[in-house]
Amino acid sequence: MPEIVPEIVPEIASEIVPATTPESAPATTAASQGLSACHVCCKLAPAEVHHCPRCGSAMHLRKNDSIQRTLALLVTACLLYIPANLFPIMITDQLGSSEGSTIMGGVLLLIHHDALPVALVIFVFSVMVPSGKLMSMFYLVWTVKRHSPVSPRQRTIMYRVTEFVGKWSMVDVFVVAILVALVHLGGLLAIRPGIAALSFAGVVIVTMIAAESFDPRLIWDAMEKTEEKNSDN
Amino acid sequence: MTGDIACHGCDLLVNVATLKDGESASCPRCGSFLTRVRSDAFSRVLAYAFAGVILLILANSFPFLSFAASGLESVITLRQTPRAIWDYDMPAVALMVAAFIIVIPSAILGMLLMLCIPLQQGRYRPWLVTTAKWIFLAQNWAMVEVFIIGVIVSLVKIAAMATIVLGISFWAYAGFAICFTLALANLDRYQCWERIEALESA
Repeated sequence: MPEIVPEIVPEIASEIVPATTPESAPATTAASQGLSACHVCCKLAPAEVHHCPRCGSAMHLRKNDSIQRTLALLVTACLLYIPANLFPIMITDQLGSSEGSTIMGGVLLLIHHDALPVALVIFVFSVMVPSGKLMSMFYLVWTVKRHSPVSPRQRTIMYRVTEFVGKWSMVDVFVVAILVALVHLGGLLAIRPGIAALSFAGVVIVTMIAAESFDPRLIWDAMEKTEEKNSDN
Repeated sequence: MTGDIACHGCDLLVNVATLKDGESASCPRCGSFLTRVRSDAFSRVLAYAFAGVILLILANSFPFLSFAASGLESVITLRQTPRAIWDYDMPAVALMVAAFIIVIPSAILGMLLMLCIPLQQGRYRPWLVTTAKWIFLAQNWAMVEVFIIGVIVSLVKIAAMATIVLGISFWAYAGFAICFTLALANLDRYQCWERIEALESA
């Protein structure tokens, strides 16, 4: 590959943001320059512009009512999480007798049958991920609300992980869908979906929307405000 | 402000104009990924997307799984998976499953072709902006890889009860899931939009 060294014109060079550590010099954020970034196409535009000049999406300096929306969705998810765990997610009809199994019941049954790896997969995706996601989102909302200065970098990573694992909780809903479609052998053996399948799918979707409506930049805004206060004193 | 990008994680302004082919940039403050420059990015996306289309057609034309016990057998295709839940009066769950595993991924795949063929050839088309917008809005809601894990888990769950045969369609879908994920992974949001804007103004 031919090596082309780009000539950096001084005017542009002065705009290059040095790789500063978070604790050192005050950072140049888009907001501090009066710019907002489009969520869809990354275009930077003056903060008073309401529609992205490039893709036409609605533009905001920060996501609208981020904290209130996220909190409302999290509470919804918590309410849905109760029936999702108490009621059976699927019902097995075998030779005239029917037996329901909850999410936790399914995990215990798999452990009982010595299928440990699968039990672990279900436990991680259907128990740990949804509850962990709810807890970490509540924690993030709470720290932003308190303008907490606690390690913003780690909280941003926490948010990224929460956002990434979101859709993996759907595994259990897909398992129910496949088993229901596959296992129906007349009156001999059949699997039906239970009401928890609906509420669990609801939990997954509502928490995904909650993660999307949370704005991680608020974590850093809070920190910048405390920094300003400290420098004023 | 050419070449400036505002970090999605912390709003820091970072200049990425000096990135060379093959290099990628992360935010110096919060560590979030910003962008990657690849001169052949659109060709890669196209290659994976074309492979994905062929595999998706295969996945829809053959039996997906079959299940046999005590002389009785049941065979399902990919499309019947959401249908069964619909029949048990849970239309909401059925629609979600159908959307996440078939409808949204196929739509994204089609839109990737509509977007990347003109971008790769360097021609402006009036639908570029709308298509790109929808791809980036919908990509979080395609769950092909999650579905593959779901299939494996459900097979282990019922393996003790009966004989299970994986159909051609299952393998095609697994291949489709890989191609789909790689196609989206090669589409860089920032670079894609910069290219669209460059073509628009040209």
